[in-house]
Amino acid sequence: MKAALVPAVVALGAAALPVAVHAQFGHPMKGQWSGEWGPKAKPNRLLLNLDWNGKDVTGVINPGPNAAVVKSVVFDYANPASWGVKMTAEGKDAAGKPVVITVDGKLENIGAYLKHFHGTWIQGSEKGEFAVTRN
Amino acid sequence: MKNSLRTALVSATAAVVFVTTVWVIQAEQPAAAQEGGAAAAPAQGRGRGRQAGPALPTPRLADGTVNLGRVPGEKGTWGVPYITNMAMRVVGPDGQLLPEIAQQQAAARAGGAGRAGAGGGGRGRGGSKSEPWMPWMPWSAAVYDYNSINESKYDPEGYCLPPGGPRMMATPYQMEILQLPEHKRVIMIFEGATHVWREIYMDGRKFPSDDELNPTYLGYSIGHYEGDALVVENKGFNENSWFDYFGHPHTDKMSVVERWTRPNKQTLHYEATVTDPGAYTKPFTMAWDIPFNATSELPEYICQENNQYLNRLEDDFGQPIFGPRKQPGAKPGTSRGTK
Repeated sequence: MKAALVPAVVALGAAALPVAVHAQFGHPMKGQWSGEWGPKAKPNRLLLNLDWNGKDVTGVINPGPNAAVVKSVVFDYANPASWGVKMTAEGKDAAGKPVVITVDGKLENIGAYLKHFHGTWIQGSEKGEFAVTRN
Repeated sequence: MKNSLRTALVSATAAVVFVTTVWVIQAEQPAAAQEGGAAAAPAQGRGRGRQAGPALPTPRLADGTVNLGRVPGEKGTWGVPYITNMAMRVVGPDGQLLPEIAQQQAAARAGGAGRAGAGGGGRGRGGSKSEPWMPWMPWSAAVYDYNSINESKYDPEGYCLPPGGPRMMATPYQMEILQLPEHKRVIMIFEGATHVWREIYMDGRKFPSDDELNPTYLGYSIGHYEGDALVVENKGFNENSWFDYFGHPHTDKMSVVERWTRPNKQTLHYEATVTDPGAYTKPFTMAWDIPFNATSELPEYICQENNQYLNRLEDDFGQPIFGPRKQPGAKPGTSRGTK
């Protein structure tokens, strides 16, 4: 059992290495982000797939049948090292009813591999803090 | 505060070591080699042409094509200059340096700033506002300002990653061009820039579809000759590189048209027109000269060897870029309420 685990761990480690050194220096918002929002006791998982088309940031939140589509992303570049970001998206709740998502956050560590995006997440009538890290 | 200071010191030390190394290497080259890093001035139409001795005739291949490499039986490589800020090499439709850049350089020289603006390891950096001729988008200007403020500590070339696009022709050390007409290819071999090579297809092929094009550092290159110029179209770049040490960003929407001419044996003139609708509102063209070092051959330089800089590099929160985090479980920005 142990003999089988060692090669598996080594292989997993080797597979992780290219990820560790992979960089993306285009638009800082572009990419896949993961994290959570809501109460720490019962957080909601988040997966953001975002792209930059040269004019707007587009993408989806939590891809799948109830995915929310990003409608607008507005940046405040006043602080070069920490961008203010306001994002709105439209999706469906667990019951399939339309729901609007409003995000007010900050994009930080813009130049590093591990970029951070965190702030306030409002989804329908619920509100909480969120934090995602670019994968 | 302590971490920030240490990061700044490490970055500054790394920059000083790198620039000093480049200067030492360039000091061993002929005077013409050192001129590659200066402002372009006209010589035989475009670019600078100060050489050690009179200009020698442009060599040609057997079929009459301009020879962009060494003459058989002789030595020689191209001494690629160290250009840290390509915005200072933007030229107009006439191929001449933009007047506002020339004025800025003259003012810097008069003020004793030396190579500031056109290079100099991060000195004299004013961010996007100091380069109003660049067709910035708001985000690319903001990213550039960020890279200016932190003095390029995230420069991917500092990680020994390959330069992308025109930066290949602005990363110092030797380079050689091999024209292989029987193979319908041109190969460029670079000593610096992580010891990489470029392959330029000269067989008249078309670009693969966007879906088939695998984004890479150097892109996909298709070339042809226009008179005495080698013209190469490039697309399919990834977003893992910067334009230059100063940190001009680009996107994977970038395409580049490059043009090489050899006005005389000692000079290679390089032009690159960049179109990147993801980062800049309109195309721009940069140009510079690359001097020939007639006595050199390609040496070996391995950037990755003993790159201790990486082990000391920290992000904006003072956390190591590589290796374990200093405070496990307290990831800044990802731990809500900890900021």
